[in-house]
Amino acid sequence: MSPRTRVALMALVGACLAPAVWSIAAALPPFGAPTGAYGPTVNALGPPLRHVSNMVSAVNFDFRGVDTLGEEFMLLGAVTGAVLLLRGARGEDLADAAGRVAGRRVEPRSSAVVLVCHLLGPAILVLGLYMALHATVTPGGGFQGGVVIASGFLLVYLGEGYRPWRALVRSRALAVAEGGGALVFALAGFWPMLCGQPYFANVLPLGVFRDMLSGGLMLVENAGVALAVTGGFAILFLEFLEETRAPRPRDEPGSGGGA
Amino acid sequence: MRVLVALMLALTLAAGLGVVLSRDPRRQVLAMAANGLVLALLFFALQAPDVALSELTVGTAATPLLFLVALAAVRMNRPRK
Repeated sequence: MSPRTRVALMALVGACLAPAVWSIAAALPPFGAPTGAYGPTVNALGPPLRHVSNMVSAVNFDFRGVDTLGEEFMLLGAVTGAVLLLRGARGEDLADAAGRVAGRRVEPRSSAVVLVCHLLGPAILVLGLYMALHATVTPGGGFQGGVVIASGFLLVYLGEGYRPWRALVRSRALAVAEGGGALVFALAGFWPMLCGQPYFANVLPLGVFRDMLSGGLMLVENAGVALAVTGGFAILFLEFLEETRAPRPRDEPGSGGGA
Repeated sequence: MRVLVALMLALTLAAGLGVVLSRDPRRQVLAMAANGLVLALLFFALQAPDVALSELTVGTAATPLLFLVALAAVRMNRPRK
């Protein structure tokens, strides 16, 4: 079938389906109209029952904490699989240098890039920590904060080059953070069981509404997620960036140090 | 509010078209990052800041980086022309 026939056929089918699509679209509720009862219910119940002002965290860590546990281990499994696949053939070596495209000149890093990275790096780290710490109060949480912190490490690569970045980002520490975070999350569910309560029952003191330390057990689960996501995403970035390192630095003189 | 959402939807359309219509892989990655940024703004305009933050961190920073690194790795392993 030639491309012209395909386009003609697509136009014909589209013209046939258009009235049906239009009638369905016209029958939809107006844009932004509230439909489900779940949202208003959670908004009404969250503050009195759990003393938290970010209902997304209340749903993720409390009302449906087991779902998040599953997602946590999904992330763990995905990161572990990626690391196994990528590192498996290549191994790990701290002494390697960043690779470069053969035959292309390595431009020196401009001082503007270094300055921007020096200014933005700490700011991004603080932003990530803020988002992770205030999960139960303001938008964001362990997941978002963890990804922000993990991307902040990349500014070290951009601003300082391969070796300082590689010296800072150690896969073993990241792996401990990743697995340890998931373990903290899972164990946080068993803690109420020791007190004779159901799995993930919120047994800790709930704290003051709109305070950073509000939400009780949610804070422990959120800390676990923050650790796991920081470690997981940082190790993912590390393994991907290691794919671009110079394969055998001694074969190419002068390839060390360039980023 | 209506105007803002309409503007964001129009931007989403433009950014999505940018992803589909760009042919060079590097440009596709950047177009995808721009699309993620526009989606984050749309979610923010629709009062879903948590999802907006997730989209911003994953769609604009993490995923494009992984694609860029993959492209770089492909290029580095290519023999010299």
